[in-house]
Amino acid sequence: MDENKNGSVSESTVAVVTEEHEKKHIIGDDENMHLHSTKEAAEDISKKVDVVDDKETAASFFTVRIKEPVLDFLHTLRMFFPESEPHYKEAKYTRAELKERFRKRLEHMSPAEQRKLKIQRALGWAWPIFRAMIIIGLCFIILYPLIFMVSTAFRTRADMSDPTVLWIPRNLTLSNLKDAMLTMDYWPTFRNTLIINIGCSIIQVFSCALTGYGFARFKFKGQSILFFIVVLQILIPPQIINIPQFKFFRYFDPFGLLTAMGGEAINFIDNPITMYLPAILGNGIRAGLFIFLFRQSFRGLPKELEDAAYLDGCSPFKTFLMVMAPNAASTFLTVFLFSIVWYWNDYYVTSTFFTSFGIIALKLKNLDAAIAKTIFGNTTVPVRDLVVWLEAGCLAGITPILILYIALQKYFTEGISRSGLTGM
Amino acid sequence: MKNPLKAFRHMSYERKKGLYGYGFIAFWFIGALLFLLFPVFESFYYSLFNVVPETGYMKITPIVTNGVTDYISNYKYAFTVDPNFRQLLVEALEDIALKLPVILVFSLFVAIVINQKFRGRTFARAIFFLPVIIATGPVYAIITGDINISGNSNADQFSSMFEADMVDQLLEFVGIYGFGSRFTEIITTITSDILNLVWNCGIQIIIFLSALQSIPSSAKEVGQIEGATGWEFFWKVTLPYVSPMILVNIIYTVIDSFTDPTSGVMERILSVQSEWKYGLASAMSWSYFGIVLIAIGIIFSIMKRFVWYENE
Repeated sequence: MDENKNGSVSESTVAVVTEEHEKKHIIGDDENMHLHSTKEAAEDISKKVDVVDDKETAASFFTVRIKEPVLDFLHTLRMFFPESEPHYKEAKYTRAELKERFRKRLEHMSPAEQRKLKIQRALGWAWPIFRAMIIIGLCFIILYPLIFMVSTAFRTRADMSDPTVLWIPRNLTLSNLKDAMLTMDYWPTFRNTLIINIGCSIIQVFSCALTGYGFARFKFKGQSILFFIVVLQILIPPQIINIPQFKFFRYFDPFGLLTAMGGEAINFIDNPITMYLPAILGNGIRAGLFIFLFRQSFRGLPKELEDAAYLDGCSPFKTFLMVMAPNAASTFLTVFLFSIVWYWNDYYVTSTFFTSFGIIALKLKNLDAAIAKTIFGNTTVPVRDLVVWLEAGCLAGITPILILYIALQKYFTEGISRSGLTGM
Repeated sequence: MKNPLKAFRHMSYERKKGLYGYGFIAFWFIGALLFLLFPVFESFYYSLFNVVPETGYMKITPIVTNGVTDYISNYKYAFTVDPNFRQLLVEALEDIALKLPVILVFSLFVAIVINQKFRGRTFARAIFFLPVIIATGPVYAIITGDINISGNSNADQFSSMFEADMVDQLLEFVGIYGFGSRFTEIITTITSDILNLVWNCGIQIIIFLSALQSIPSSAKEVGQIEGATGWEFFWKVTLPYVSPMILVNIIYTVIDSFTDPTSGVMERILSVQSEWKYGLASAMSWSYFGIVLIAIGIIFSIMKRFVWYENE
């Protein structure tokens, strides 16, 4: 007991002493600090700097100017050559040893933990297999129509009713493709489509970007009502309003201006202006969706960007053109690509405005009748007999878009997620 | 008289910016007037009258019943006299009610799967987005039509190839016979059409995928540290973060399926149009559109409660 007491006492005294010592020390430091005048401190610093400078010229010149750059260079080089061996040595076990270790680990666990671990291991094995099965299966379903298309497009008509032919045709032929392309008047149609397509897409991207920017960054009266019109634009299917639109272009007389000036209404049917004018005015195919996308992506950009531009005396339009548009470049690309695809695929709007003007989608839509006319001589042919030509035509019609998709696949799939759709 | 230029110069900065805003949307607004609002009101106007196209103009005459001009006659006709319209409408609503949950669950599942890391992920993604590129065009309709017609000799008919009658067989296997033909009918409509399901989910998968990728890594870390299982993680972290996009996807799916030109009601409207009955066609499309809007409004107000926003 006594010893214990003594011990505890001595310990406490020691603790007190050390505490006091520390206190003194700290106070002393404080005093020292107070003793220093600002002048002295400044001198101290200048001395230190001088010393460093002297040393730099003599000794550290090598390390700063030669050694470190060389090491840096070597380091960057190493990026290109992945290391063959890891820094640390991995513990290597045989399969049996691993099993033994795992068993030992299990022994130290509660039953609940053991169960959880076992389930986890089982899932770790099963899930990748299950996932691969799902993905391969779904990919097959998606690719099935395309495989069917390619397989059918290059076979003769006799092969269609040949029970031994499943996927690989017995008689390969290019004549279907040639006939279909001839019937579709392919290359002139392709050129027409491409010009309208790219022209409309470029114009549409800019008109939609302007509108989207207007909605994203300016506050004005009636903004919410106007934006509701954009939503309506997405909601209302073209089928509902295509008759008034047809009438508009058939007797083109916007707001009655032409007749008021003594002119006459113009017939714009079969004129590409029926595609360009809506695109210029931000009402092309799926323009509502694009305006929406642009609004979201401009909203996501930092406000400081344009404030800086305004301070430097940029007008709002110049700010948009020089500062904001380049920053939203990826959205521009995404919208452009989707615009091209949707203009390419559209046949409803085009069939409203064009009667003789050729567009790939329209030609495809009417391909069965055209084939029946040119190849079977205008007799009524069951579609079953036309399949090979139809598929060949589809192949010719879809290939340009597929090539575009494969080449720029990254921008299609990542574009939408990056354009800020999620910030809604 | 005030000089407008001077007035503009003395305007407050905020108001000036507002005017610039009008400038930015001016082009679009003219376009919306010409190509959206006027046509919409015009078609509404048509829906109230008897409309016959003549060369150069539409001959619009009021419909008179019992000596009184009857403005809603077209609507009455569409709902009471027309043999198909009401039935098609009900079918469209039933169809979407069945399809909507399946499309949502399926696309969320696919998005989660292709968001994981595995070999060949880019390739798989490229294939899953292929429908977005192709399905809007005429090509898809032609190919699926051809596949159905041609039957491809000894290969199974395509329509039956992916048809899963599993549910019935499963029920019979378990020992449930005649569970109610209505129920099996519902289930088979859901399961039988995997091809169309996969081909119509492209956009939804993209939207879900982008939502999944925007889940902050801090949330994932917390889940790991707290020892959440995959199941718990899905319900407690993934689903709340994805919920705004579920709402977006619901609205997109509803609109997409209602405005699909191959859907029953749309076909009926278009066929009425091709019979030159523009008044009736407009009345049909207006009532259809109104029902779609009401449906979206109901879904929106219900779903709004379950949506979780991070910032709030």
